[in-house]
Amino acid sequence: MATHAPTHSDPSGHAHHVDPRPLSYWWKRATLWSAGSFLFSFGLIWFMRTIFGMDPLWVSQVYVTAAASLTSIGFLIGIGCFDWWWQWMTGRRVDGEDHSMHGAHSWRDYFKVNTDHKVIGVQYMAIVFTFFVLAGLLAEAVRAELFTAGQTLGDGETYNGLFSVHATVMIFLFVIPAFAGLANYILPIMIGAKDMAFPRLNALSVWMLIPGGLMMILSPVFGAFSAGWTAYVPLANQGGTGTTLFEVGVQVVGASSIATAINFLVTIFTMRAPGMTVWRMPLLVWANATTSALVVFGTPFIAGSQFMTLFDRVIGTQFFDPAGGGDVIAYQHIFWFYSHPAVYIMMLPGFGIISEIIATFSRKPIFGYRALAFSTVAIAVLGFGVWAHHMFVSGMAAWLRVPMMITTIIIAIPTGVKIFSWLGTMWGGKIHLKTPMLYAMGFIGVFVIGGLSGVMLAVIPVDIQVTDTYFVVAHIHYVFVGGSVFTIFAGVHYWFPKMTGKMYNETLGMISFWIIFIGFNATFMPMHWLGIQGMPRRVSAYDERFEAVNQFIGIASIVMTLGFLVFFYNMITSWRSGPKAPWNPWRGRTLEWLVSSPPSLFNFEATPQVVGGPYQYGIPGARHAVVFAPEEIGGELTETEKRTIVVVADETVASAALIDEVRHRASEGLWRFTFAVANEDGDSRAADRRLQVALSVLAESGIDASGTVVEGDPFAAVAAVSAEEDVHEVMLATYPTGMSAWMADDMVDRLRKSTGLGVTRVVVRPEDARAPLSLPGVSQVAVVADEGLGTAGLVAALRERADRRPIGVILLSPMNLTGPGWTDEAEEARSAAFDRVRAAIDGLQAVGVQSRGEVLDGDAAAAATIAVTGHRADEILVIAARGGRLESDEALAAVRAAAGTVPVERIVVDAEAPASPSGS
Amino acid sequence: MATVEPTISAPSQATPPPSRGSQISMGMLSMMFFIGSEVMLFGSLFAAYFFVRFNVADQWPPLNSAGEPFELPKIITGVNTAILVASSFTIHWGEHRLKHYGDRKGLERGLLVTMFLGGTFLLIQVNEYIHLGFTPQDQAFGSTFYTLTGFHGLHVFVGLTLLTLCYIRVKRAHDFTPQWSTPLQASSLYWHFVDVVWVLLYILVYLV
Ligand code: HEM
Ligand SMILES: [Cu+2]
Repeated sequence: MATHAPTHSDPSGHAHHVDPRPLSYWWKRATLWSAGSFLFSFGLIWFMRTIFGMDPLWVSQVYVTAAASLTSIGFLIGIGCFDWWWQWMTGRRVDGEDHSMHGAHSWRDYFKVNTDHKVIGVQYMAIVFTFFVLAGLLAEAVRAELFTAGQTLGDGETYNGLFSVHATVMIFLFVIPAFAGLANYILPIMIGAKDMAFPRLNALSVWMLIPGGLMMILSPVFGAFSAGWTAYVPLANQGGTGTTLFEVGVQVVGASSIATAINFLVTIFTMRAPGMTVWRMPLLVWANATTSALVVFGTPFIAGSQFMTLFDRVIGTQFFDPAGGGDVIAYQHIFWFYSHPAVYIMMLPGFGIISEIIATFSRKPIFGYRALAFSTVAIAVLGFGVWAHHMFVSGMAAWLRVPMMITTIIIAIPTGVKIFSWLGTMWGGKIHLKTPMLYAMGFIGVFVIGGLSGVMLAVIPVDIQVTDTYFVVAHIHYVFVGGSVFTIFAGVHYWFPKMTGKMYNETLGMISFWIIFIGFNATFMPMHWLGIQGMPRRVSAYDERFEAVNQFIGIASIVMTLGFLVFFYNMITSWRSGPKAPWNPWRGRTLEWLVSSPPSLFNFEATPQVVGGPYQYGIPGARHAVVFAPEEIGGELTETEKRTIVVVADETVASAALIDEVRHRASEGLWRFTFAVANEDGDSRAADRRLQVALSVLAESGIDASGTVVEGDPFAAVAAVSAEEDVHEVMLATYPTGMSAWMADDMVDRLRKSTGLGVTRVVVRPEDARAPLSLPGVSQVAVVADEGLGTAGLVAALRERADRRPIGVILLSPMNLTGPGWTDEAEEARSAAFDRVRAAIDGLQAVGVQSRGEVLDGDAAAAATIAVTGHRADEILVIAARGGRLESDEALAAVRAAAGTVPVERIVVDAEAPASPSGS
Repeated sequence: MATVEPTISAPSQATPPPSRGSQISMGMLSMMFFIGSEVMLFGSLFAAYFFVRFNVADQWPPLNSAGEPFELPKIITGVNTAILVASSFTIHWGEHRLKHYGDRKGLERGLLVTMFLGGTFLLIQVNEYIHLGFTPQDQAFGSTFYTLTGFHGLHVFVGLTLLTLCYIRVKRAHDFTPQWSTPLQASSLYWHFVDVVWVLLYILVYLV
């Protein structure tokens, strides 16, 4: 077994003191405190107004402001964010290393205050995706209104409320915190730290999202907040009470962002592992450091602007009221001075994610590491000098226009540098088109379009023409959905195995990508045209001539939504019951891939040592970091950066003999295993299915193994791996001599000669290579079939299951004999059944699914009993030929009854169609 | 708000030490970033002030409803400024006593005097509000004036809270040694910041 720490749930023998108070305690307390501070705020304002003789006593805006702010604070106190600090503040003895609220031991720990950055990361993701769904529903409501040219849903005010809340929630409660959540989980591990610099502050940040988010999402109930996410005055001062909630909510969420940003900055500045110089930091770390600086120095400006509008609204100050000597344009200047940098707050972390993914899936060192790092910083710095490009037609000082146009166009340069660096990385690389990579490549394509429409908008005459039209809406969505959302989705898929310890379903991932990608372009591309034709944004009723295009857009947006549903389905089912993830499914180099999935309680057992750059893919012997074993094992720190054994196999990859040998070698604790399936002329999808079975079984036993399918012979396979890893030995799995084409070619000796490495041969009997493994990590699917056995439908159904998770198949063919089993008819039926079973095994073998079969005298129910008791099947699949006896509902009911709790599914196939041996 | 009595002895040794790439104190660094953020908050309020003053107003200070220019009490506030600036020195003195002489009593005295001066500043400021004769609703002049000074007052209050906490830690928990006093240093840095902002504010809003 590997010498690394076991996972999450087991605090690896530390005397870990766990806080004993149950979930209900915290939530009761939170409810009491929230209710208490709600009432208190009313009492307080009433009392103050009485004392100072203010008239009238009831001004709803004042009460709402006080209630919203104090209830948030009350909730945070009640849920326990301040408990430790309270001890400190009152001068009591406190332990700085108090870990009683650290780490998740059951699902309950995710529902209370926790100081573990990994738990907090997951909490963030759960919260932000909830808001994503809510804001998405609002968007569909917007599209419903726009489906016809006239006014349909409520009045114009309702419509204003819909799009305002949609945008606000997407921006402040999805995109910004989603990046914070991903980085929360990954960044500390990436820099080799045990946690964030201030874990308790970190917990406070995530919990602040809840009151802040509720205020924003509930604001329509109190009278629509209708000035758009930009909340321009004087409109914002005229809207309903919802606007007050928005203004307070922004403060709460903004405070959360600033706290997180300071936390990231301090973490990155002070907690990097030894050896991680700034030029060895992964680009995600660069991106987050820069973004955090933007948040720390930019967000106070939106806070300031919202404080002033709040005062204008609530206590009647005159900041933005020309009648009292105020300045309306000042609002826009202050707002955009934050909000332009804010668009980079929403994009730079995405750039970081993309850099990680592009390098890993192109298997090449990143092209222009320093250029990428510097351009990130350059964008952030320049970003503070372009804000007035949003105000070309606002009536601001005219001399400001041209300089702002020039700076805005200049900012496209560092953005372009990034695009070319990514293209340069992919150029000539070995691109693996997994879902994260698809999202990354999709991102590059659409972001270029968004950036170009941005440059068009920066040109003053163009902007005067199209500002406040759908052209701007198209720009925004190309950069936000195609930019931010695609990168978040790329990151979620990429780190899903690390965060949940489970693999997501690759096929569903790809399906969701294509639906979203096509739906997205169909939705937003036509908006460019609408804008140029002059359709104004933010109106509910529009000119008849735009109706057809808007209806097309409406339908396209539903397509996109379906894609999101597939994504959610994939994430939720995979999290609950996906196959176990290996440590390093993508063969990444950065530190998070060198620890288990999910990582142990404190990520590392001992401080890792960074020895090289993070992206040296394809450079033999290059290393990013060394991870050490805990003291208990080595006595003193022992280096366990394991060397690689390359396992070369073809159809033999998922055989018991090979797995046994790998397990045996793994117990030496020195090796990591990279499987290279040499696929000479077979179906590479089939090879991949077999490989996934082997990897899943090894992941279940905690062995650090990863793998890929290589098109070519064993030489190509070894070469592909040793180009990137420090290979120590080759393990070659073949059929017995005499049956194996490789052995006939003298493969062992030739490999030994050409690579100069030791070669171990593992002999696998052909029947073993076909037989399903009954080991943890492989789910057992029992197939009960009549004439349907051996049809293409059966193969297709099982292939689809195998793409979801590694499976082993037991084919059961009940003959339904009623009379004695030795008659001629029985004998004939039996041999026909045997033929069908054999054909099915061959058909499955061809698509990479391992199976074995049995022919039974009894009926389908008897077969189901055997499947459950004899084979411990996880699932029973009834394959019924059309018109055959299994198609009847009684037969199905009998199988269900015999199966007990094991799920049963029936598929009806056409018996005529012969099994196609090539499968996919 | 009882937390379980800290029975933690084993974990503190069992927990692996943090991996540190740098020797900057985390507490001080976070306070510096926080102050950077605060600077920007005041920046946004000052921005509004400048817009009102230089972009809109014909004359400064503008005329009130009675037709006379608004007036601000320069002298009293000048004295108040001196009080606040003095408090920066007293806190520094307290820190100095601790750092170079290990004199916790001196630190306590320094903190007390600082808190006293800060409190006086706030009282004088409130008194000024009462006697100014205009309100936040009186034109953008009133709005910017009250918001700027009000936010500053709030920051003085937060600073005082931090100092009080430090005082409690010294008194009741016997915290802070010449080698380690991060919370104290951070609070005092914050206090200096609040001072500097006030001096700027006094010059820009009251004097010029
Ligand atoms: C090459 C880079 C970019 C350039 C040159 C650019 C330029 C512009 C310009 C000139 C406008 C003003 C349009 C108008 O209101 O008339 C604008 C609006 C906008 N841009 Fe960009 N942009 C760029 C990238 C981005 C990115 C990366 C994001 C966000 C991730 C973004 C988000 C927005 C948003 C949200 C608006 C509309 C704000 C509103 O009025 O609601 N832009 N952009
Ligand atoms: Cu902008």
